[in-house]
Amino acid sequence: MKIVVAYKWAPNPQDLEVRPDGTVDAGRAKPAVSEYDPVAFELARRLADATGGEVVGLTVGPAAIDTPLARKAALSRGLDRLVVVADDALVGADSTRLAVVLAAAVRGIGDVDVVLTGDSSIDVAEGQVPLTLAGHLGWLGLARVAAVEAADGGLVVERDLPAGVSVLHVAGPVVLAATADAVVPRVAGMKDILAAAKKPVEALALAALDVPAPGTALTTLATARPSQGERRRVVLEGPTAVADLVAALDLAGAR
Amino acid sequence: MDFGLTDEQELLLSSLDELLERECPESYVADLDLHHQPPTSFRKAMHEAGFMSLGFPEEYGGMPTDAVTLVLLAERVCRQGLNNGFGLELLQAMDILEFGSTEQKDEILGLLSNGEVPFALGFTEPGAGSDNSAMATTAVHHDGMVTFKGTKTLITNALQSKYLLLMARNPEVEDKRHAISMYLVPMDAPGLTTNQLDKILWHISDSCEIFLDDVTLPESCLVGVKGNGFKQLMRNFEFERLVISATCLGLAQCAFDDAASYAAQRVQFGRPIGDFQLIQLKLTDMAIKLENIRNFVYRTAWLLDQDLPLRSQGALCKRYAAMAAFEVADEAMQIFGGVGVTVGTRVSRLWRDLRGHRFGGGTDEIMVHIAGRQIVKDHA
Repeated sequence: MKIVVAYKWAPNPQDLEVRPDGTVDAGRAKPAVSEYDPVAFELARRLADATGGEVVGLTVGPAAIDTPLARKAALSRGLDRLVVVADDALVGADSTRLAVVLAAAVRGIGDVDVVLTGDSSIDVAEGQVPLTLAGHLGWLGLARVAAVEAADGGLVVERDLPAGVSVLHVAGPVVLAATADAVVPRVAGMKDILAAAKKPVEALALAALDVPAPGTALTTLATARPSQGERRRVVLEGPTAVADLVAALDLAGAR
Repeated sequence: MDFGLTDEQELLLSSLDELLERECPESYVADLDLHHQPPTSFRKAMHEAGFMSLGFPEEYGGMPTDAVTLVLLAERVCRQGLNNGFGLELLQAMDILEFGSTEQKDEILGLLSNGEVPFALGFTEPGAGSDNSAMATTAVHHDGMVTFKGTKTLITNALQSKYLLLMARNPEVEDKRHAISMYLVPMDAPGLTTNQLDKILWHISDSCEIFLDDVTLPESCLVGVKGNGFKQLMRNFEFERLVISATCLGLAQCAFDDAASYAAQRVQFGRPIGDFQLIQLKLTDMAIKLENIRNFVYRTAWLLDQDLPLRSQGALCKRYAAMAAFEVADEAMQIFGGVGVTVGTRVSRLWRDLRGHRFGGGTDEIMVHIAGRQIVKDHA
C-alpha cells in the first residue's frame, strides 16, 4: 500500500503573537510541520506498518518551504521518503490552487492508494484542501477521520461526525482528512532525526507537473477577528444556579 | 564562533517541547512537588521517545550524543520548572556501564527503561561529605562475601531507588585513596534501614539517612575494581557539574520568564510594575546573569566535546551557575512580592529548588577549593 501524507510547512503556533487589535502576527514565527498534520503522519505510519506499505510525504508551497531543516523535520516523523514542490509561483496560493498542485504531484508519484492529511492548516485553517484535492484526483474524499485500518482489500475508516461515529469500508483510492485528535503522534527522537538526513527526497518542478493555469483570482478585501460576544456579567447563585444557567444558555441559543 | 543550533539540535528541542507540553505540564510538576512524588511517568515517556538513551554507548541501545546537545536538553526540561529533570540518569548509567558487571548493567538499564531511578548514590555521611577521607562506613571482605557497617545521610532518591550505589572503605587499607570501593547494594538487603528526612526543597526527590548494620552480600555486588571506588566516581564528576549547571540555567530561566510576565501584568499606581525602572533594573540584571550562565554552560560543554582539558572549568561553571541562578530566582521572588511566597506559585518552588543546587553536587565553597587550587597551580 502506497500512502501519501500531504502536509503543510507552516508557522509554529507557539511563536505567533497577537497584536493589540486581535489579529495574529506570524512574521517572527519559525516554520514547522503544521500543528495538526503529525496526526496524519502517525496514522499513515501505523497503516503502512500494518500492511507493509510505504509512506511518502508530500508538501507544496513557495521556495522557502524546501530547506534541509524542513526536509528533516518531516522525514523524522516516520516518512520513508519525501516529495517537494517548492516554487515562488505558489507564494500566496489559495487552497484550491494548492490542492490542484498536490493532485498533480500525487499523480506524479503514481500508484497511490491513500492520501492522508491533517484536519486543516494551523495558519489558514480553512480545511478545504483535502476534499478539493480528492475532487481534482476524482477520488473519494472523507473528512473527520478518527481511525483507519486495512481490511478486506481496502480500508475501514471510522469518522467522528456531529451525529455520531460512522464506520465505512472503502475499496478504492481515497483522500482522508484526520481529526486533530485521531491519534497521539509520536515525537521524533534523535535516531529518527539523524536517519531523516539519509532518506530520499525528490524535488518536483512545478513547471513539469500537469497543472492547469490558475482560474479565478482571489483577492482578500478585509479580515477581522471573530466576534468576542458581549459579556453579560450575570452571576447565578443558589440552589437553582444550574437550572438558571441552562435556561440562560438556551435563551442565548448557546446550547 | 558559531552560536547557532544545528538542524538536528533544533528538531530535537522541538520534539522535546512536544513531549514536555504533553507529559510535563506545570500542573503535573506542581502536583509532584505537593505530594513529594518522583516524575516517573515523565521519565518513562522520555525513555519511550528515545531521550533517555542519548549519551549512552551504542552497544547498550544508546546514541552517543555531544555534551552541548545534552545540556541543551537538560536546560529545556528544567525550563519547564522540573528540577533535575534530565541528565542525572545518564550519569547514573555511565557509572555502571563503565565499571559494572554484565548483570549489573542489565539490571540498571532495565530499571532506567521503566522510568525508574535505579540507584541512589550512597556517599555523604554524618562525618564525611566533601571530605571523603573521613568516610567511616566499612566494607569487610570475607569468604566471598562483603559486610557493610555504617551510616549514610542526605541520600537523594533513596526511597525511590531499588539499589544504593554505596561507597565504603576497607578498614585494613591505610591509604585513604585506595581504601574506598563502590558497591551496588539492594535497598531491601537485610540490615539496611532508612529514615526519611523532611526538607524544604527538592520535594520530588526524597532524602534519607541509611543505616547499614552488618549488611552482608556476595562479593559480586562490587562495582569495578576494589579500592578504585573514589576514582571511578570522580570520572563523571565533571559532567555532573555541567548537568547541574544546565539544570540551574533552565530553572532560573523559568523563574525569569515568570517574573517578567508578572511584571508586565501586575498593575500598581495605574501602570504595570514592569514600567518602573527599579523593576526593569532587576529584570535587566537577571537577563545578564542568565546570559552569562548560558555562555558558561555551553562553552564548558563545548570544551568537553573537543576533549580539551577542563582543569577548573567544571567547578567554576558549577559555582557560578548555582549562585547566579539562585540570585535570579531570588529577584524573581522579589518581583512577585507576597504572591511569590504563597504555596503553589511556581516561582516559590524554583526558588526553593535552586537553593539546593548551591550545595547539591558540591557546595559553592568546595568549588572554590577545587578551582582555587588549580588556578594557583596553573600560575606557580
